Amino acid sequence: MRGSFGYTEKGEEGRVNDFGLWRRILTYCRRYKIPLAVAVLLSFVVTFCSLMLPRIMQEGIDGYMAQSHLEISARILGLQHLAVVYGVLVCCIFLTNFVQIVLLEWIGQSVMHKLRKQLFDHLVHLDLAFFNEHRAGQLVTRLTNDIQNMHEMFTSVMVTLFNDALKLVGIFCLLYLMNARLALLMTLFVPLAFFITRQFAHYARKVFRQIRSQLAKINSFLAEALQAIDIIQLFGRHDWAEKTYTDLTDEYLQRNLKQVSIFGFFMPLTELMSSGAVALILWYGGGEVLRSRLSLGELVAFLSYMRLFFQPLRELSQKYSIVQSAMASAERIFHLLDTKSHLHFPVWKQAVALDGDVNFSGIVFGYSASKLVFNGLDLHIKKGESVALVGSTGAGKTTLIQLLARFYDPHAGNITLNDVDIRTIPLPILRQTVGLIMQDIFILPGTVQENIILDQPLDKEKLDRILQQTGLEVFIGRLSNGLQTQIGEGFSELSVGEKQLLSFVRALYRDPVILVLDEATASIDTESENLLEEAVAAGFSNKTSLIIAHRLSTVRRVDRIVVMDQGRIVEQGSHEELMSTDSLYSNLVTLDLKNSMK
Amino acid sequence: MMRFKEQNNDPQGTTHEGQSSIREALGIITPLFLRHKKRLLAGFIAVIVVDLLQLIIPRFIKQGVDSLAQEGATEHSLFILAVTIFIAACIVAGFRFFWRYLLIGFSRILEKSVRDQLFRHILAMDQQFFGRWTTGDLIAHSSNDLNAIQMACGMGLVAASDAVFMSVAAICFMVAISGELTLYALFPMPFLALSTKYLSGHLHRRFNKVQEQFSQLTEFARNTIVSIRLIKAYTLEKLQNKQFDQLGREYVRSNLRVALIQGTMFPTATFVGNIGMLLVLYKGGTMVVNQQISLGDFVAFTTYLSLLIWPIMAVGWVTNVAQRGLTSLQRIQRLLSEQPKVKCQPQADLPEADQITFHCRNLSFTYPGEARQVLENVTLDITPGILGITGRTGSGKSTLCKVLLRMYPVGDGMLNLNEIDVNDLDIKYVRNHIAYVAQEPILFSHSISENITFGRQDATDEDVYKAARAAAIHEDILRLPGGYDAVIGERGVKLSGGQRQRLALARALLCDRPMLVIDDGLNAIDVETEQQVLLGIHSAFQNKTVVIVSHRVNVLETADCIVVMENGKIAAQGTHDELLAQPLYKVMVSKQQNNAR
Ligand SMILES: Nc1ncnc2c1ncn2[C@@H]1O[C@H](COP(=O)(O)OP(=O)(O)O)[C@@H](O)[C@H]1O
Ligand SMILES: Nc1ncnc2c1ncn2[C@@H]1O[C@H](COP(=O)(O)OP(=O)(O)O)[C@@H](O)[C@H]1O
Ligand SMILES: [Mg+2]
Ligand SMILES: [Mg+2]
Repeated sequence: MRGSFGYTEKGEEGRVNDFGLWRRILTYCRRYKIPLAVAVLLSFVVTFCSLMLPRIMQEGIDGYMAQSHLEISARILGLQHLAVVYGVLVCCIFLTNFVQIVLLEWIGQSVMHKLRKQLFDHLVHLDLAFFNEHRAGQLVTRLTNDIQNMHEMFTSVMVTLFNDALKLVGIFCLLYLMNARLALLMTLFVPLAFFITRQFAHYARKVFRQIRSQLAKINSFLAEALQAIDIIQLFGRHDWAEKTYTDLTDEYLQRNLKQVSIFGFFMPLTELMSSGAVALILWYGGGEVLRSRLSLGELVAFLSYMRLFFQPLRELSQKYSIVQSAMASAERIFHLLDTKSHLHFPVWKQAVALDGDVNFSGIVFGYSASKLVFNGLDLHIKKGESVALVGSTGAGKTTLIQLLARFYDPHAGNITLNDVDIRTIPLPILRQTVGLIMQDIFILPGTVQENIILDQPLDKEKLDRILQQTGLEVFIGRLSNGLQTQIGEGFSELSVGEKQLLSFVRALYRDPVILVLDEATASIDTESENLLEEAVAAGFSNKTSLIIAHRLSTVRRVDRIVVMDQGRIVEQGSHEELMSTDSLYSNLVTLDLKNSMK
Repeated sequence: MMRFKEQNNDPQGTTHEGQSSIREALGIITPLFLRHKKRLLAGFIAVIVVDLLQLIIPRFIKQGVDSLAQEGATEHSLFILAVTIFIAACIVAGFRFFWRYLLIGFSRILEKSVRDQLFRHILAMDQQFFGRWTTGDLIAHSSNDLNAIQMACGMGLVAASDAVFMSVAAICFMVAISGELTLYALFPMPFLALSTKYLSGHLHRRFNKVQEQFSQLTEFARNTIVSIRLIKAYTLEKLQNKQFDQLGREYVRSNLRVALIQGTMFPTATFVGNIGMLLVLYKGGTMVVNQQISLGDFVAFTTYLSLLIWPIMAVGWVTNVAQRGLTSLQRIQRLLSEQPKVKCQPQADLPEADQITFHCRNLSFTYPGEARQVLENVTLDITPGILGITGRTGSGKSTLCKVLLRMYPVGDGMLNLNEIDVNDLDIKYVRNHIAYVAQEPILFSHSISENITFGRQDATDEDVYKAARAAAIHEDILRLPGGYDAVIGERGVKLSGGQRQRLALARALLCDRPMLVIDDGLNAIDVETEQQVLLGIHSAFQNKTVVIVSHRVNVLETADCIVVMENGKIAAQGTHDELLAQPLYKVMVSKQQNNAR
């Protein structure tokens, strides 16, 4: 199969110098200004202490060890003093490091938590059209891995980056103070270092992106294969699955090896540069010593500080790529945050009683602009009326009720409840009013009871009553832990019919004003269906209901039957009315009864 | 509200398992180490060369400084020295590249090979396995655990060997200068070892917890997005937000607990190194003052000690990485050691059968891990012709289909295919003879034609159209934007329920196998289309075995024989007319046939 798995990750560049992006990231840190300032302050302390240690060592050598003319006890006493100072500094470094690590983790995690929460909240409020176009895996990646990437930048990089930069500047100043000419010579290496870092970042970024998108492909293939494992096994496509997978991992390996080469080439370069600098200083500085323009001690000190100089430089170039990938993640996250829902969410100034009078008028709608599902559809359902929608698959029945629940807004025309346009009704109220039992069955991981009551308060009496009325009681009685049995992936499974019953109970429990059943009894046997119909009749006798069913016997009892075909209403009327004429419906019923094969 | 499965397949005490399981776990990767031994050997030699040269370069510098001090240096000698240093550095860079390419590259090769092995293994597993390991678990294994293994076998191994070599070399040099001072310098080391051991144990546990919570967070987000229609229809956004927030908070808390350990662990390494330096400053200084060692020796000693700092810092990291790698390897080993419970002892190569007959003899079945029998003493002959199955919801209809398809194990002597016990047949053999339409259609996010040809790659366009026509979906497909090339979205979200079902049906029909099992796969299809589909099936499956599960009388009526199931047992069996008196069947018929009045 030549599928591309539909996975294409938008290739954000991850520009490190995108100031708008930085500003946006920093707005999330505003609340943590003080802790961040403390972390920066601690950086100064660590840098200062670390740079002091070699100086104390130097002092010990020059001031006491080499001073053979001094008295021995005085020299040892001096060394003791130095040792105490050294010890204090060492402890100081330890403590500051500890506080800094924990503090940064706390800031980073808090900021990321906030961002993650915001993103999740934003995501669940986006409209369905968005979810149709995006893969679950991709969205999950935004919420988890991309946030993780940013977090890594926050904790391990942002401050160490600062630390390193600080160290670099500190050493540079020291070198200049020691010997300006030599320091100037050293300065030559700085542009070279930057050039190498940039080059490295360029290649590393490219290959990194390739690796990431390949990994995403592998994971989305894996997820899809696991979800369809039955089908793969039953249709005997192991070989195909294995081949596709190994091809994907092969490509992944190649890209990884490329990355290894790039790292292998660039990482030693800074080291090489450092040795080159040492060689240069030894040669030139040695010459200066020979010309007596430099003391030997100075040269030695210079050489030792140089080692310190190149270390942060190397770290910087490594961390640059982390920052880059974090920026790319940030860009994707903010892009998602900026995606607006096509639906707007009204709030009510003044509550209106909605008692179930539904009117569709002049509905024009299509999932894509090129292909309309409805082109001017009108339907009025009076309060308390029960209406059945029948018609061939793909006629648009599900679409119609999805419009009623406002999963999408029609391109033209409007839908009203009690003459109130549903676009002005707050979504929670609208969806509390319209009790929808969907064609697709959804089970959330959790217990049976949790799956029924969802966010509603537990009313044991009501629950028991509904369970008993709908006959789900019998099935629950068979489960090992009754209502408390865990269901969902990885736990015991219900049969499809049982799940459908559960969705039914779930909807009834919420006491909707309008009950909408989208083929909600398709997988249920006739006896259970009869029970359900009685339960609905008992609890919903005077409420509006809209029923979609293919078993025509299911819809017999309704007040009005609406026959749809390719997005149009072809005919409507009660069972008796329609049967008494030569209608499409009566033909269907005859067809239903007469077995075409006999 | 929604609780997550306890990691019952992943007990926490992994680290305390016996040696044998570690050996078994290593058994996964040892063949790879053996296969690539030349590469590895070359890599390690490169590491050692780099280390040696790194020890030598400072000596060149020292030589230069000394020569300057003794005033024996000339411009020329300094130049030679500088060039030598530069050349040595170039060689170091070259060998660095080599070890990276050889060793880190090896870890990538290893990662791929284990990843492929894992997938191959998963493909061969049965339903029971998938009941215990969720998709989320398996994806986590093939990403996090493989990462940990790759890290341990790549950078971990390099760092370990490098650290060992460097520290041995540095200690040798130090001892050569002064054994006593070396003792002082190394005095804090046992403390480091102890604290590392103690802390890394904790770190490991806390880190595991973080990983677990990360996958819970991921699972939660995934479940929410997959069920977004439910979330919206029932306005559960607030609830989900609250739960996500809760999970996120716990995740933050666990991360902070890890940070506490890490915040102690890494500074401790620096601390210990610095304390060593402090002892050397004091003790060594005193020795210099007392003229036990020379000042030059002291300076050299501190240089070597600073060489030790890196290995010291690496110790914590390496143990951490190694331990995580090992834990992950054990987890993967446990996964790989799972065997499918469906028995499969192929007796001999059988020729393809063109007719399929199943005989169930007192077939009983219980889902793994459950107490209740879902099928009880089912005795049934499934012969060429159409067999209709109906019955109460949850009475075991789907289960029977799945058992026929060998998705679950059955006892010996309970199920025969063409007179041979299925336990003596290759599972693939059985499955190759059956086309299956599941109760809930499972589709791929590819194009329509790719979905239809899933079971038969070599099908021509004509065959595809024919199957689509038989499933009465050809016209619908042509109406879609893109027609047969239309991409149908994840799980087929861009199709209506009935279209999805018929697509799954077309896929099965195209396979052209001697047996067809339709598990209630027509229930979202309207009456008119249903008739067409039934006609299609009839013409395509003449003289073949067809099993149709349905609740619709007019589907069942076409069957040659109908089975009514109740509570896992066969309540009645016969033709439509024979069954009219059966209570369950009667209810169904009277409701569905009274329509005309
Ligand atoms: N999410 C979607 N994106 C694009 N097209 C869709 C989507 N859902 C349904 N359709 C198309 O809209 C038409 C009507 O679908 P639907 O309302 O589900 O039919 P039904 O009457 O069977 O419930 C079908 O042709 C289907 O292919
Ligand atoms: N994977 C499973 N694990 C445990 N119990 C199951 C599983 N699948 C189904 N069951 C139980 O087995 C019984 C029969 O299920 P099934 O065969 O799917 O019923 P149906 O006749 O409606 O197709 C049901 O009560 C269901 O709860
Ligand atoms: Mg529908
Ligand atoms: Mg079933």
